[in-house]
Amino acid sequence: MKSLAGFLLAGLVLSAVAFMLGSYQTDVYRKLLLWITLALGYNFLFGIAGQVAFSHFTFYGIGAYAMVILLFQVGLPLPLAIVAGIVVCVVLALVVAIPATRLEGFYLALATLAFAQLFIVVLNEGGSVTGGPGGLANYRLPDILGVRVTGPWYTVVIVFLLLGTLAVLWRLDRSWFGRACRAVRDDPQAAQAMGINIRTTRIVAYAVTSALAGVAGMVYAFVDNTVNPPIFGLENAFLLLFMVIVGGSGRPAGAIVGAILLYLLPFFLSPLIGHHHALVFGVVMVAVVLFQPKGLIGIWDGWMTRRRAA
Amino acid sequence: MNARGRQPGHGDKAVASTQARPLLVARGLAKQFGGLQAVADLDLDVHEGEILGVIGPNGAGKSTTFNMIAGALEPTQGTLVFDGEDLTGLPAHAMAGRGIMRTFQHNKPFASMTVRENVMVGMHRRLKGSLWRVLLAGAGVVRAEREAVRRADELVSFVGLGDWHDADVDTLSFGQGRLLEIARALAAEPRLILFDEPAAGLTPAECERLTDIIRQIARQGIAVLLIEHDMRFLMGLADRVVVLNFGRKIAQGTPAEIRADPAVVEAYLGNVGAMADA
Amino acid sequence: MSDFLELMVGAAASGCIYALVALSYLLITRPTGVINFAVGEWAMVAAFGGFLALSRFELPYPVGMAIVLVAMASVGWITERIAVRPLLEKGAPPLAPILALLGMLVVFREIVSVSMGPDPQPVPPMFGYGRLELGLVAGSYQSFFIIGVTAVVFGAAWYFFERTLAGRSFEAVAIDRRAAALMGINLRRVTTLAFAGSAAVAALAGLMVSPNVSAHYLMGLPLAIQGFTALVIGGVGRVEGALLGGLILAVAEQVTVRYAPIPPGLAQGVPLVLLIVFLLLRPTGLLRARESRA
Repeated sequence: MKSLAGFLLAGLVLSAVAFMLGSYQTDVYRKLLLWITLALGYNFLFGIAGQVAFSHFTFYGIGAYAMVILLFQVGLPLPLAIVAGIVVCVVLALVVAIPATRLEGFYLALATLAFAQLFIVVLNEGGSVTGGPGGLANYRLPDILGVRVTGPWYTVVIVFLLLGTLAVLWRLDRSWFGRACRAVRDDPQAAQAMGINIRTTRIVAYAVTSALAGVAGMVYAFVDNTVNPPIFGLENAFLLLFMVIVGGSGRPAGAIVGAILLYLLPFFLSPLIGHHHALVFGVVMVAVVLFQPKGLIGIWDGWMTRRRAA
Repeated sequence: MNARGRQPGHGDKAVASTQARPLLVARGLAKQFGGLQAVADLDLDVHEGEILGVIGPNGAGKSTTFNMIAGALEPTQGTLVFDGEDLTGLPAHAMAGRGIMRTFQHNKPFASMTVRENVMVGMHRRLKGSLWRVLLAGAGVVRAEREAVRRADELVSFVGLGDWHDADVDTLSFGQGRLLEIARALAAEPRLILFDEPAAGLTPAECERLTDIIRQIARQGIAVLLIEHDMRFLMGLADRVVVLNFGRKIAQGTPAEIRADPAVVEAYLGNVGAMADA
Repeated sequence: MSDFLELMVGAAASGCIYALVALSYLLITRPTGVINFAVGEWAMVAAFGGFLALSRFELPYPVGMAIVLVAMASVGWITERIAVRPLLEKGAPPLAPILALLGMLVVFREIVSVSMGPDPQPVPPMFGYGRLELGLVAGSYQSFFIIGVTAVVFGAAWYFFERTLAGRSFEAVAIDRRAAALMGINLRRVTTLAFAGSAAVAALAGLMVSPNVSAHYLMGLPLAIQGFTALVIGGVGRVEGALLGGLILAVAEQVTVRYAPIPPGLAQGVPLVLLIVFLLLRPTGLLRARESRA
């Protein structure tokens, strides 16, 4: 049971870690936190609301690019850019949600796949606005009230983002809305008979999670201080899906476990297989789907149940 | 503790009188599928606290009528007025939102949830509200959730699934799944419940329990409409019966009157055994 | 005018490749309901197979092609055995095989990337790089080869589904799996045949497109998307739909690239936009499936 105290404690601990890391480890830590944030959102969309979409990472990219463009191309001051960025993310999320949620299952997957590819094409052809195939770089977060937010302090920002996302999704999950999402996923006809408006439920789930991904992207823009098309391609969209499934779809704990495992695994495997971690991910994914569809969290649950019975 | 989760004395009605204004009024209801007229010119009333049975041979239009009232099908013609409000053609979730709940003949539980959670989904029309309130999670929202859990548990006990609150739905027997359907429908505090062949697939003992539950539901003032093939079950339970054949109403009255009606007997002539059971 | 016709020949050739990929999907989707994301990677593996057989080992074209097709049919069979059959027989949710195949997509791609490296590899065309002129119509040898082979494949597919018992059993399984099983149709055999056939068709597409674009480990996904777009446009129900959809897509692409005042890079967006539009407005495609028994 997470209470305010729990969240504050987690925030403190996670932030404290930020101050104990060297610069390379900081980079890994920050990206890990961002992946966990994304995985939590995707877990809600895919695992809880049951929507097979490949657009989550695209909204991450939309948020990142929007932030950089608003700050440095349009020239907005930081507070305004933040507000405008959030508005862009929310509006685009809604605009895509409305037609997208008319599609089900595989058609939704395909449409969002096409949307994700389209985003890359637009980025590549965006000329000076998006920086084309090379993207945008050589910028940094403007000073806030004369203070440079950098290093571990920026990591704290990411911690806030993660906990904020977790809080929002946790609340939604544990409410009539979360139940409605699951009901629509399990049996749309029965859900309707309970008074649930399927369209509205799907739209809200898609729009909220996509907008959250966009906001995460806005924060990401200042992690590497560069944004370019390959980062936001389908490879990472697949990886996000793999994380959620391997960890355990439908459970926030599963998303966290999956994100941590699949993000950190390459660091341990690279002495063995170099850059080809994707091979391991693919194999693990197939193995999980075949043998343990509940994911790693499912193994944990099984173990806990056996202990309780003993 | 009654079906609505409230103490007796609140809103209980005596057995419904047909003189009182009906809760649901269907006039001229019709449904056409391409060249097939499934239902034509159907008039139907259901009163609060009344158990109305709808019977007829196979293909008589019972399911079509049921689905039109439930909002799963849009009538080609006719009107549906519920508590004075014209609901004709509204979709299923809107019907449910106004307190018309239904069960499914082939139980449709939400497979990923426990019994209790399934019942809580039934409370959707009562619980839903602003999402901002959910996010801010004030004391009110927390209290509402706790209250919802409590009411869900009461309903689960009321239908007789007392020990199964936390059970996964795939551990339930078919009969238990039927009870869950009922608990879930009751969770919405409905004014009208539509039962879709509730006795189908149940053992005699389960039918007994079902009869008891439906009687208690009607006693609380909830209007009940049920379609059923099992004559003995329905005739023993219904206050009034409507008989359909080839999409039209051919008779209406008390079970005794229906049993004696020559038109009804003729409709079932190919089904003499069924009438004999009634 | 002749310029336009030559464009059309090129478009027809591209359209045939898309049509073959679409057919590859169709062969699996109809009897099993599984959508195989990995068809693009199958085409890619076949392209590399072509590189090995034809460029590296310099086998004669028909021999090399035959070997690659047989090899890929086996790959299809193996894929079905490992990733699909256990799930179908366990009664897993319909999403599960699709996810497993998505995993396989990545596995295939990485295996090729590890073994063959990230550089594009050349695959020689069947008749060389010459140009053929038939009256007003002109195009490369390869284009005509592609069109010819595709015509044969689709002719065979049509014949298979319409006239042979095995093909009818595919249809039966597509309409109602359980009923088909009850009538004695061997579901396993149909599924195996479907996967093997699908892989062979995808292999054909990969082999024939790669002389123009080279074999590259990333070529799978764009091809898969184009193939699926062709399927959606043409209609999921019929073999002819795959061909129609492929041709429409290719013509739309080529016409846009040549005549529309937009930068060539954006032309890549054409199949994507078409896919989204069709999914939203007419997901069943242009041709209706034939089985409308009430």
